Amino acid sequence: MGSQGGFGQSKEFLDLIKSIGESRSKAEEDRIVLREVETLKVRLNDPNTPKYKLKEYIIRLLYVEMLGHDASFGYIHAVKMTHDENLLLKRTGYLAVTLFLNEDHDLIILIVNTIQKDLKSDNFLVVCAALNAVCRLINEETIPAVLPQVVDLLGHQKEAVRKKAVMALHRFSQKAPGSVSHLVSNFRKKLCDNDPGVMGAALCPLFDLINADADKYKDLVVSFVNILKQVAERRLPKSYDYHQMPAPFIQIKLLKILSLLGTGDKKASEQMYTIVGDIMRKCDSTSNIGNAILYESICCVSSLHPNPKLLEAAADAIAKFLKSDSHNLKYLGIDALTRLIKINPEIAEQHQLAVIDCLEDPDDTLKRKTFDLLYKMTNSSNVEVIVDRMIEYMISINDSHYKTEIASRCVELAEQFAPNNQWFIQTMNKVFEHAADLVNAKVAHNLMKLIAEGFGEDDDTADSQLRSSAVESYLRIMGEPKLPSAFLQVICWVLGEYGIADGKYSASYIIGKLCDVAEAHPDDDTVKAYAVTGIMKIYSFEIASGKPVDLLPECQSLIEEMLASHSTDLQQRAYELQSIFTLDAQAAKKIMPMDSTCDDIEIDKNLSFLDVYVQQAIENGAQPYIPESERLGISSVSDFRSHDEHEPSTHALRFEAYELPKPSLPHNIPPVLASSTELVPVEPSYVIDILHPTSAPSASDAGSSELKLRLDGVQKKWGRPTYSSPAPSSSSTDLVKVQNETPRPDSTGSSKPKTRDTSYDSRKQQNEIPPEKQKLAASLFGGSSKSEGRHPPSQKNTKTQTHTSDKSRSSKASAPDTAVKPSQPPPDLLDLGEPSIASSVPSVDPFKQFEGLFDFTQETTPPASTGGVDGASKDSDFTSLFADMSLSAQSHIDPNPESNGLGGSKVEPSSPQLNKGPNLKEALEKDALVRQVGVTPSGQNPNLFKDLLG
Amino acid sequence: MGIRFVLMVNKQGQTRLAQYYEYLNIEERRALEGEIVRKCLTRNEQQCSFVEHRNYKVVYRRYASLFFLVGVDNEENELAILEFIHLLVETMDRHFGNVCELDIMFHLEKAHFMLEEMVMNGCIVETSKANILSPIQLLDKAS
Repeated sequence: MGSQGGFGQSKEFLDLIKSIGESRSKAEEDRIVLREVETLKVRLNDPNTPKYKLKEYIIRLLYVEMLGHDASFGYIHAVKMTHDENLLLKRTGYLAVTLFLNEDHDLIILIVNTIQKDLKSDNFLVVCAALNAVCRLINEETIPAVLPQVVDLLGHQKEAVRKKAVMALHRFSQKAPGSVSHLVSNFRKKLCDNDPGVMGAALCPLFDLINADADKYKDLVVSFVNILKQVAERRLPKSYDYHQMPAPFIQIKLLKILSLLGTGDKKASEQMYTIVGDIMRKCDSTSNIGNAILYESICCVSSLHPNPKLLEAAADAIAKFLKSDSHNLKYLGIDALTRLIKINPEIAEQHQLAVIDCLEDPDDTLKRKTFDLLYKMTNSSNVEVIVDRMIEYMISINDSHYKTEIASRCVELAEQFAPNNQWFIQTMNKVFEHAADLVNAKVAHNLMKLIAEGFGEDDDTADSQLRSSAVESYLRIMGEPKLPSAFLQVICWVLGEYGIADGKYSASYIIGKLCDVAEAHPDDDTVKAYAVTGIMKIYSFEIASGKPVDLLPECQSLIEEMLASHSTDLQQRAYELQSIFTLDAQAAKKIMPMDSTCDDIEIDKNLSFLDVYVQQAIENGAQPYIPESERLGISSVSDFRSHDEHEPSTHALRFEAYELPKPSLPHNIPPVLASSTELVPVEPSYVIDILHPTSAPSASDAGSSELKLRLDGVQKKWGRPTYSSPAPSSSSTDLVKVQNETPRPDSTGSSKPKTRDTSYDSRKQQNEIPPEKQKLAASLFGGSSKSEGRHPPSQKNTKTQTHTSDKSRSSKASAPDTAVKPSQPPPDLLDLGEPSIASSVPSVDPFKQFEGLFDFTQETTPPASTGGVDGASKDSDFTSLFADMSLSAQSHIDPNPESNGLGGSKVEPSSPQLNKGPNLKEALEKDALVRQVGVTPSGQNPNLFKDLLG
Repeated sequence: MGIRFVLMVNKQGQTRLAQYYEYLNIEERRALEGEIVRKCLTRNEQQCSFVEHRNYKVVYRRYASLFFLVGVDNEENELAILEFIHLLVETMDRHFGNVCELDIMFHLEKAHFMLEEMVMNGCIVETSKANILSPIQLLDKAS
């Protein structure tokens, strides 16, 4: 089919596309587009513009906006085009408005009327175009305008219309669940539509609804299982096959739904075991799509009520994923492992080396996925290694979104599993030092609370040790530059509260330190406030203990500075600090009691201590206070408001005016239900379930009868009515077998069996594995006996603690540090001519062997310094190709369905290229020559050029 | 929601098709397209075809000079999305015959029509090539 020209595209349009395609920098592209904007402004406003030209202008407008410029001047013309009689113009108009406008745009109101008209059209393509627009442009306010028509269209004779009507309803339920809650039964009905496309579409809304409340849809388990069975048995039309898998995308959606329905529901899960097992068996694990289904099945298995047989199959599949060379499969394997570990914590052990490889892989995506896994499998024996790793990675990245996440995880794990106080404080220090301003402010407060309360053990010495070690480490850290504000706040608070508690440091030393902090951060009022309050606490503790107090000169100057501060908060704190010095010991003790942060402060909400004052005032003629609720006027206002709510229609847009009088919505329900009982056997059982939710045993009976009925309806269209029930594979013999096969003793405590596991699994590998990696594996998975020695039973002894954590840190330091590599500066995409691009791009094209990608290796290897030349020659390619008006060999996309394989460097059949003129050949040969003569061509590229030319 | 956006961007970072299933204004789109293309370009062929970006994932696949990028929620099956991209390319290829970047540029609206048939409300609704293409063929005939 012609790829260029034709279909009334003007020379002007072709030239525009050509120049955009050839533009070599963002600046050049911008110039082209801005010129185009000027042209379009004139043309669109010209009343003599012929209709057939209009479509082209609107598409040019799409380009303007797609390339990042404002096209709002032309929106109205796109809106006008939706009114057009011509189908192509209408659909293009609808497309343009859905791309230009969001649902709250002012112009939408001009489209709603057109949509209403088009939904009634006799031409189903017009109806489909309008339904597309409904899905994009109708907001909560305009739903009533189209809802009745959309519901009518659910019964349209064309399956394409029914499908889109289902999706329109889906959209409404996303936007305003209340507006269609009475129409939910339609989705159930559409599940057994004759057309598989409509059924597939109905899965989308049902997935959302089940996700929100699975209990309401338990009766559908049988139906979903049945549909999945039919899909897996290839009863759907061939056209749904993708790479030899039957309707894989529908299978995946169904598996997602089943896993929602089976979560925490033994009965529902049992209904699913057979089919999920079948699907896992049938998956073609050599293709991407087969593995996608396999992965989805594992996800499903991990959320169902555990079934030993399925879990075993899932574990096998995970092992395959992890052993694969493809990073995509490794990624899925790690993710699946994370899901399965909830059910079987030991499963990760067999894969410890694979996990560590992924952790140390330079691929960030894989690394992060592995951190997710480690986060899930953290326990008190591996927390130190894991959190250390996480912090190390956290420090190395710049992505603040992920930094925040990993920091909060470190904090969470540290709080939950900290082996000792020393380690906890050190860990928190590290997290706060690098990410304090990213983590939630609550984390800082939690830390303060934790230091104040201790770990909840009734052991005061441990608590005071925790505080002393905190104070000590803070005094060490606080001199460092550029500490985050939130961390400094914690430091100031802790020093104020506990700085002199153990008597190790003098009051003047701590006060001096706090003054330094305030001085070093003149712009941070919060830190200064924390510092001053800390100082105030220490002074009042000193006064309360009866010691002579003298104001330090630096403190004096700090107070003076703050008294003149613009911040009233700081001023107040300074005044309060000043007045502390005038107090005696008794008063000081009362206002700043020592170690009282955890004491509850009772608040007298009635303010009863003011009663006497109020009484006096009233006696002196003051007006008594009237509570807000009793005050006049308010009540009438609220009345007015509620009155208002009764008639929102008076203010909202009215669409009914265009419609015939229709019965109010509640009246609609009974007929809908009635018809559904005729059509679908699902409905009655649903009602029954609601009415008798306790009749559990009868439900399965109802389910089986429903199953047969359902099949009658569906089979006619999808295939022979051979409901062959598979062998009852979940029989007891199988179970016994499985149990016999997994005799692994509970090995959480002892380390020996785990070691055996590992050596059994990969004895050969182990010999080649560097000892650091083994050590890391041991500390993560508790596989080696060494790990036991690392965690001494006593956690109270500070000396041992220091020793231990040092040791573990040193072992960690010896682990291979491949994790952190300086990332290359991202290439500037927009300046195409710059040689710097090429130099920052790896010398081998990153995507040469990309999975499933079709060979175009001639594109690869722009050697470091030939970037400019390369770019230029490519451009000349482009030009000549264009002049040739035939397919560009260079940018040709070959979607060969067979090539899922890795790096299939398949050569195109030459026939389509035969007609390419000598110009192109010359250009390409020239390009090849340039590469050959150029600095370091990869050698094979010229050949690849040749092959493509045939 | 599932799919948040479908993008086609060439190696030079020039957008060839953009469809967003949640509204972003022009500046946000521009920033997002720049960021993720830059991210994907720095990755090599061994690395995963998935990249985390902000709070969602980008599944990407390269065909010749053109990147197909699909932004998805965390719940989505990444490998299935990767194959969905391929299905889209296969479908375009069936329609255009040896599809190339220029086909998409010259027939931007058709590429969009195909996508409209395949994805609605951020969900994959149609995966049969015959069903995806039949309205477009009818449209061709009508005009």
